[in-house]
Amino acid sequence: MTTLTRQDLNFGQVVADILCEFLEVAIHLILYVREVYPSGIFQKKKKYNVPVQMSCHPELNQYIQDTLHCVKPLIEKNEAEKVVIVIMDKERHPVERFVFEISQPPLLSISSETLLSHVEQLLRAVILKISVCDAVLDNNPPGCTFTVLVHTREAATRNMEKIQVIKDFPWMVADEQEVHMQGSRLIPLKTMTSDLVKMQLYVEERAQKTS
Amino acid sequence: MDELYLDNIDEYIHDQNQIVTYKWLSLSLGVHVNLAKQMLYHYLDRCRKDGSKTPLHATYLVSGKCVQNGSLCHKVSVVREDKLEDMKTRMDPTISIHVYSIQKAEIKDSSTLYSTDYDAVRDNLKHCNKYSAIHCAAAVPMSPTELELIQEIQQTSSPEKVSKSGLTGHASVAKANVKKSQGIMGMFANKNTAKNQGSNIEVKLEKKDDAPSVETLESKPAGMASAVNNFFGKPTKKQDKCIKKEAESSAQSSTVESKHPKDAELPSKSDDVKEKALKDSKAKREKKDVRSKSKRPELTDSEDEKTESSNKKKRRRIKKPRSDSSDDDEAAIADSPAKPTTVTTGSPESQVKEESLPTLEVFPEGKKRKRRRVLKSKTSVDEEGCIVTEKVYESESYSENDEVVTSQPKRSVLPVPGKKEEGRKSAKRQASNKSSKQVSIMGFFQKK
Repeated sequence: MTTLTRQDLNFGQVVADILCEFLEVAIHLILYVREVYPSGIFQKKKKYNVPVQMSCHPELNQYIQDTLHCVKPLIEKNEAEKVVIVIMDKERHPVERFVFEISQPPLLSISSETLLSHVEQLLRAVILKISVCDAVLDNNPPGCTFTVLVHTREAATRNMEKIQVIKDFPWMVADEQEVHMQGSRLIPLKTMTSDLVKMQLYVEERAQKTS
Repeated sequence: MDELYLDNIDEYIHDQNQIVTYKWLSLSLGVHVNLAKQMLYHYLDRCRKDGSKTPLHATYLVSGKCVQNGSLCHKVSVVREDKLEDMKTRMDPTISIHVYSIQKAEIKDSSTLYSTDYDAVRDNLKHCNKYSAIHCAAAVPMSPTELELIQEIQQTSSPEKVSKSGLTGHASVAKANVKKSQGIMGMFANKNTAKNQGSNIEVKLEKKDDAPSVETLESKPAGMASAVNNFFGKPTKKQDKCIKKEAESSAQSSTVESKHPKDAELPSKSDDVKEKALKDSKAKREKKDVRSKSKRPELTDSEDEKTESSNKKKRRRIKKPRSDSSDDDEAAIADSPAKPTTVTTGSPESQVKEESLPTLEVFPEGKKRKRRRVLKSKTSVDEEGCIVTEKVYESESYSENDEVVTSQPKRSVLPVPGKKEEGRKSAKRQASNKSSKQVSIMGFFQKK
């Protein structure tokens, strides 16, 4: 067992790469499962050795990629606390919030070569849980949209405002309305614990989705 | 049947929100797949009868004969419960229907079913068929001894395959090498007794393509026969066996051929340098001769009737280079007017000729004299003490009538008259011997 600090091996970059890849797959799957977009734009692709549904729409894909491109530096520096996919109805009121709570251990202990395969297995389990989250969630009203929120630690957002990671893709401070949901219930989906990263996935669902 | 399995399935489905497939259930509980299918059926049946609030969704595996694209085929498909009846009507007859999975969520695509079984099978990879209903009596794991045998067979077969594939490409090269080695070996058979070590392999090389050539070598004069028999003494008895062995193990010999002809060439080169102190240009001439010799036996390989003629040809050719090389040496020495090498006594005849030659010098005035560049070889002593022959272009004056006179200005430079005589003798010999070969250089000596 080798114990290394965060600075070693560019630990933050490794975790950021893995997490951003996973978040891209997870966002596509949530959009497919929760029927935010019609299922016709999705096609099966392979990730973590299992088939997953990914969107073919170029603008949607570009939006998701740009979003995660901006989130990556925050994850590298361990400044991102949560990444939230909010599904909103036509009035821009959130009906569901898929919360990915991310925490990185300060010390990385590399146990063996199976580290990445173990992480892959855990991520595969999270993907499977997202696939069957239909059973525990109510149906969403038609015409929903989505957005991505990032909860950061301390004053990381100030740096984000100063430095535009991607041109013409500004980040704004989220409205209170989008952040907090009234009358919501918490539904835990999956907890993942590995040497690289700890992640919790739960859903905040509004009690009455159809107003 | 024990009822505990029902509680287990209930826990998996409702508490863990898991998709329970029959394969996953059989691996988790350690039961046969057919028993797992029955378990799922019983659980589903009980839940439907009890009227539980939480609706359950099930998928079924249906297999049967159906007509698809105009042809009758056996179809196996996993369908959702709402499409089960529709699939049943399409199949005639329906061979098998059983519960594939039970879950709370409605399955939208098959990827979740695959993901469910993926990790279960991966964790039990070594014995994933332990509870399977698919069996083959012939599929038995091999014993360690059988595995070793197969590995050995694969190792021996793989290099043979590689060599055989390259055999066609190397065959022509191997033949040329074989001929070279044979020709060179024939020339230096008396001296190369050390080559007996590789004689068996070399014999094989020869036997492969040159059965008649081996016979020709054996029929050489007695002086060479003893040395030759040192090579071929043993294999003469085993000729047939060697040929058969060659046919069988052609791949192995091809690799050996590429090595040994090279070994044969090296001592031949060294002998040339030691015996006659020649330069590479002369060694090249010999090589060319050897190659020309090597080519001829190839023609007679397939024809045993021509062995006698090839014997004679070989005898002649083997002798020629020696005489030619010796003549070349003397001619080279003679051609260097500026640097005399050896001193020999002259003869009265040569003196007479020498006296007669200057008379020709009297009459050059009335005749046309021209200058031309001629390639001549000059010998000189190297720093190491070796005699080096260089080919140099020199301008000479010549007349149309008397080409011989051109040699006079150079001959007069020689301080020792004996050398002139020797030079003329050698020139004569050279002219006579080389008239058939190199007309360009010694052409002007022919008229004598």
